[in-house]
Amino acid sequence: MTQKKFLVVDDSTTMRRIVANSLKAIGYTDFVEAGDGREAISKLDADSTINFIITDWNMPEVSGLELVRSIRSNDKYGKLPILMVTTRGLKEDILEALQAKVNNYVVKPFTPQILREKIDQILASI
Amino acid sequence: MDSKNSMENVFSKLGDLKQFFVFGQKIVPVIQKIIDFMSDIVPLLENVNNSIQDSTSKIPKASNQINSVTSANEIATSEILDIIDDMFVDLSTIKNGLAELKTDQNSEKIKALNEVVEKIEMDSSRITISLQVQDITSQQLASVNHLIDSVQDKLSSLLSDLGKQQDKPIPKFDPNSITGQDSDYALSNGTFNENARYDRSTEKQDLVDTLVLENTKTSQEEIDKLFAK
Repeated sequence: MTQKKFLVVDDSTTMRRIVANSLKAIGYTDFVEAGDGREAISKLDADSTINFIITDWNMPEVSGLELVRSIRSNDKYGKLPILMVTTRGLKEDILEALQAKVNNYVVKPFTPQILREKIDQILASI
Repeated sequence: MDSKNSMENVFSKLGDLKQFFVFGQKIVPVIQKIIDFMSDIVPLLENVNNSIQDSTSKIPKASNQINSVTSANEIATSEILDIIDDMFVDLSTIKNGLAELKTDQNSEKIKALNEVVEKIEMDSSRITISLQVQDITSQQLASVNHLIDSVQDKLSSLLSDLGKQQDKPIPKFDPNSITGQDSDYALSNGTFNENARYDRSTEKQDLVDTLVLENTKTSQEEIDKLFAK
């Protein structure tokens, strides 16, 4: 398995821990965390070793969707794979996220298996 | 002739005056009823006004209580996650210990014990998944708080129109006012999904997978078209 450095973005401490634990459970141990989109951008600007982003949608300051658009418009890290993990499961939400160019999408509650499946799909497609 | 006209004029005026008094006699009871009605309705309106003010003043307390619930849930969830983390460390120690104890004679027994350890690990993992309910319910509660906040705004506006606001200012709900609790919710007030549901069925994820697949196909078709040109 190629080792990846994940940026886990969620305003809920609980969810960040659950995503981190799930990553550990499927063999990924290198990750950093951010509490909202603005913090995530700061982390991306400061750390060029981050090569995979897992983000929530509903967050203060800069939402997950705004974060995705911001990343995609950036020359430095615009092509990084992004997996959105959110409670938003309506068709229009999913389509909006796909239009913003997320690589894949997971609806909460999720299992580590689903997380692994989506990460693998993304890594296989890039 | 002038004198006759003047007298007729005076009589006409007196007639009008008489009619006015007759009308007055008729209207006085109606006016009295209106006065009585106003006397009755004013205290009633005052009561309604006070009730609205009382209800409005209680709204921040309700909002803070909801926040306290969210906060308490988050703390409890974090504690459970701490315990699960410790359990994983302990289970890892047991697994290592079992590997060291393994001999040809007890290999079957050790294998069985390892299976028990793995089952406990899987169960712990399932508990972790279920704890996502905390994030989902916190978004539902945030949605309720948002609704309460909207009602408070409307009631405050009504009270302001009624001139009551000056008498006793209504404290505005402050999500950051929860003392002694570091609430993630407080920081993220308003950033919620009102449709958040704890639903373990795969229906939503199946929809995602279909749409992602369609999107990928469309993208690939667009790429193929570009290369075909």
